[in-house]
Amino acid sequence: MTPRLSGTGLSKIYGNLLALRDADIRVMPGEVRALIGSNGAGKSTLVKVLTGAITPTSGTVEIDGERAPLGDTREMIRRGVACIYQHANLAPSMSVLDNIFLGRQPTRRLGFVDTKRQRREAEELLQRHAIELDLDAAVGDLPTVKQKEVEIMKALALDARVILMDEPTGWLASSEVAKLHNTIQALKARGLGIIYISHVLDEIFAVCDTLTIMRDGAVIAESAVAETDRPRVVQLMVGERLARESAQAALQKRHPRGTGETRLSARNLSKKGVFEDITLDLYAGEILCITGLIGSKRTELVRTLFGSDRFDAGTLEVDGHAVSFAAPRGAIAKGIGFVPEDRHRDGLMLDMTVTENLAMATLDSYRRGVLLNRSKIAGAGEKAIKSLSIQPPEGARPVKLLSGGNQQKVLVGKWLSRAPRILILDEPTVGVDVGAKAEIYRILRHEREIGAAVLIVSSDIEEVMTIADRIAVMVSGRIVAVHDADAVSRDEIIREIGGALQ
Amino acid sequence: MSDEERSGADRRNFLKTSLLGTAAVASGIGGLFGRFNPSTGALEVSSARADTRLKMAFVQFQPHTVSTAWGKGIAEVLATQQIVDYDQLDGQAKLEVQVSLMDTLISQGVNVIFLQPVDSVGVAPSIAKAKRAGIAVITLNIDATEPHAAHVEMNHYFGAMDIAKAMGDAMGGKGKVAILNAPPGIIIRDQRTNGFTDGLKKYHPDIQVVSDQVADWDRKKAQDVLTTVLAANPDITGVYGVNDSMALGAMDVAKDKGLKLVIFGNDGEKAALEAIEAGDMTGTQYTDVFQQGRLAAAVATVLASGGVSAKAFASQGHLLMPYIIATKDTVGQIQPSQRW
Amino acid sequence: MHVRRATIALIVFFALTISLFSLVAPRFATTSNMENLMGGFSFIAILAMGEAFPILTRGIDLSIGAIVALVGMVVFDLSLIFHVPGYVILAVALAVGALAGALNGLLIVGLRLQPFIATLATLATYRGVVYAISGRQLVPGLTTTPIADPWITGLETYFDIGGALGTDDFLPLPWFPLSFFVMLAMLAVLSVFLLRTKVGRDIYAVGGNAEAARLAGINTGRIILLAYALSGLCAAVAALLLVARLTTATEALGFGMELSAIAAAVIGGVSLSGGVGSVFGPALGAFLLGAVLLGLTLLGISQYVQQIITGLILLAAVGYDRFLLIRRQRRLAANVA
Repeated sequence: MTPRLSGTGLSKIYGNLLALRDADIRVMPGEVRALIGSNGAGKSTLVKVLTGAITPTSGTVEIDGERAPLGDTREMIRRGVACIYQHANLAPSMSVLDNIFLGRQPTRRLGFVDTKRQRREAEELLQRHAIELDLDAAVGDLPTVKQKEVEIMKALALDARVILMDEPTGWLASSEVAKLHNTIQALKARGLGIIYISHVLDEIFAVCDTLTIMRDGAVIAESAVAETDRPRVVQLMVGERLARESAQAALQKRHPRGTGETRLSARNLSKKGVFEDITLDLYAGEILCITGLIGSKRTELVRTLFGSDRFDAGTLEVDGHAVSFAAPRGAIAKGIGFVPEDRHRDGLMLDMTVTENLAMATLDSYRRGVLLNRSKIAGAGEKAIKSLSIQPPEGARPVKLLSGGNQQKVLVGKWLSRAPRILILDEPTVGVDVGAKAEIYRILRHEREIGAAVLIVSSDIEEVMTIADRIAVMVSGRIVAVHDADAVSRDEIIREIGGALQ
Repeated sequence: MSDEERSGADRRNFLKTSLLGTAAVASGIGGLFGRFNPSTGALEVSSARADTRLKMAFVQFQPHTVSTAWGKGIAEVLATQQIVDYDQLDGQAKLEVQVSLMDTLISQGVNVIFLQPVDSVGVAPSIAKAKRAGIAVITLNIDATEPHAAHVEMNHYFGAMDIAKAMGDAMGGKGKVAILNAPPGIIIRDQRTNGFTDGLKKYHPDIQVVSDQVADWDRKKAQDVLTTVLAANPDITGVYGVNDSMALGAMDVAKDKGLKLVIFGNDGEKAALEAIEAGDMTGTQYTDVFQQGRLAAAVATVLASGGVSAKAFASQGHLLMPYIIATKDTVGQIQPSQRW
Repeated sequence: MHVRRATIALIVFFALTISLFSLVAPRFATTSNMENLMGGFSFIAILAMGEAFPILTRGIDLSIGAIVALVGMVVFDLSLIFHVPGYVILAVALAVGALAGALNGLLIVGLRLQPFIATLATLATYRGVVYAISGRQLVPGLTTTPIADPWITGLETYFDIGGALGTDDFLPLPWFPLSFFVMLAMLAVLSVFLLRTKVGRDIYAVGGNAEAARLAGINTGRIILLAYALSGLCAAVAALLLVARLTTATEALGFGMELSAIAAAVIGGVSLSGGVGSVFGPALGAFLLGAVLLGLTLLGISQYVQQIITGLILLAAVGYDRFLLIRRQRRLAANVA
């Protein structure tokens, strides 16, 4: 049988950096191949070569046995290679319908768009895959989850023969992940080849047939999923040391209610139409995880705690004093740090350097008169880069050139430099590889040890079970339960998230 | 005003237009050609026609000392009429803005439009439109190709010729001169430049124009331009600024470098006259611009009050302002009230 | 959604402005004043429609005023020096405008220049070319010769529609200038082009998210080039109408007109951050600016105050755009299930 897609001997050299080294990848009709590896292992480069977004230095790509021209996105699309990118590649001001057909609208004579056919096709597609979307809504108005669905629709509408999915579940809640996996099974049954890139091993073992593991720009292992197991995969991906640390971390001692000192206390906090009657305490020296489905208003709640949004009723106390923040400035002054969910949109200045980003929240402390002390900033930056093990350890590198995991470390580090008394993180490890994840956990545990109160919002049950001292479950804008992490099982939490207590 | 300074042709032109001028004087506006006393004879005219108010507007090229002085002269005369509403509008040096303003004035139904056109051809359709609506258009300094009620100007061509003569005399009939010029596309520029070069040819053929650079009517720009020109031609002994601002810029450079230059300007604004008295500038062509405005306003009043119809003239009225070439010897004749 | 709401707001504001001036400004609600509005601002509307294209691609075109002068001078030279027949002049003029615009696009795409920088450079260059080819400088005497070719002057024709329909007895209509109908025709064609053709949608895509457009296989370079060429073409049409109105061209023609066009486009709801807007908005924005200027002039308000008021309207437009955006985001935050 001819492979749907086959790349052979692909290399990409940037200056003196070997981003991709003689990589081979193959996917057969009806095969779902996982492509895994730490961030910076070369997966993204490989994907870009396959979509034609970049031209490889050497190597060939064949689609259905036919040699494809390299570095030509339009030609790749025409030959049936679709890609769902990690970061939404949508035009936010345009409608869902326009986005789905971006760049390849069906046309009639004279280049007129056949709007009727376009709408009909989109509706059929939505129906077939049981996805609910308002075709006329502007994409920028949709929440992240829905935007991801638009991306998926975009690829499906293409009638692709090969679909590359670059962390498609990054921002999806578990029920939506399941739905996506059903879709993948259906695509597979129709003989498509799928390359599935993910950091979530659960997903890979659930949906993939084969896997290709990359490290340092090269393919280091290939295997059928059935013939391997998690520890082996993790070991291959991150190398021996990190794998060990990660395993140890899971066995760490829990500290529910930490030192017993209440840092942040919400009483009957409400915001009309968003969340209701939230009563919650956060103690110094503990990690409290709020979990729940996407759309359960966890993000809105923590944004309110940080002063980004206002609340209507109830009280909020920090260190025993009632507060009502008009803006994040007030929260920051009280020692609250906040790492937002979408790091590209809310958290980082992508064009600025690592050092500049790290210093951003604390510029005031580097002031000498009205001027900034640059050498002091650089010094502090270097120290932070080391303690966070940001790779590559170059302060002058623009943040946009870092991998997702390292960007996240910069974002966390930005707040750590203020030595926050309360640290709030919204989905801190989305799109972050296993290695970087372990490091972020290490950093957060360290913050806990030195007495910070840490509040994490996460939909990743593994993550919650690994790192939390206490777990709060949120459903439809209400906190339905708070548990000590030691005293609750994974399955119980999952049931509660699903609404068992209502 | 000394008659000797005026060429014969100039005098003939002036006489040709005396018909309108006489009408203006006859309309009983006392002190028109001198200082004005608003409490005298003018009141009689206004009381006679107080029942209907008249509207007049001045569409200027762009704000400048010259157009401001015109506006002052016009307003002075019209104020004595007490039945005239007067507006001064800014053409922003843009032809399309002037045309749009003209359109608005026409639909507003004004009686007279004073116009300093940005371009002679470009305003022609608007003038034709105004005429159809029975509106008298009086142009100032820049004529239009479409015939209209009257044109009031100082003679740029002959004035510049006279400047060339006086300048050549001051230079001893030989040497090299630089012109600091206006940006191209404006008639005055051509009239003055041609008058100047023709004058040199006629009276002082040994004097050479070695540089003709644009300095945007501007004093500061003129300083920069002349500094560069002098670097290339250090033997220049005369500079002609096509307006006084540019001549004053040349004066600044000469002072700064300690050079003895013969510097002539054009228009005769207050600052230039003072520089001539101080001996820093050699001369300029002076016209009483207040008077020019008053004259235009007088003509306008005659036309608007129905004393004389514009249609009574077979061709467009043409009023030439008298001028003098003001040098250290003659500048004293210009009274403080005539300085603008 | 967003575009539509802003457009409705603009229409309402336009209607309010017209009604207000009709009440307070003497002789505002007259047929002759309406003629002035149509005759004096149709070409600004066309420029603004052209400007919408670069702005939709998240760029800007500062050179359109210079292109107006360039095209105007080409018409001047061809007609008065070379006595080329008018229909040829019309074709050449449009080609010159489109090429000058395409050159902008080429600089932006080929050399990856910022649109602001690239078109600022061409603004200076085109103005320089205007002086260099100016027939007024090259051939003495032409400064006082009007362009009389009927193909050109015919563009400044007024139609007495009211008279033809016989409505003048009960409802006197203004005479409609040909330039107004040219504007309407371009509005129709460009609207359909933007909304209904693939290339038109691609323009929005490039402005909305250039990277997404590129990855979707859209030739973003070609789209940007096209946007600037269209801007240049519109400038050429505006230049022709202007030359017909003035019967001549000057070196300074169209000076600063790019700012009016950009203001009209922004007031018309074209977002400076790209991907949002229409051509109807800019056209209406131009007439709104025109109505305000005419109304204030008729009220006898100083032109400096007029500029301040124009600036305030522009600020209000940008502010309103932001307000809609923020309110939409708030509502969304409250509604998401």
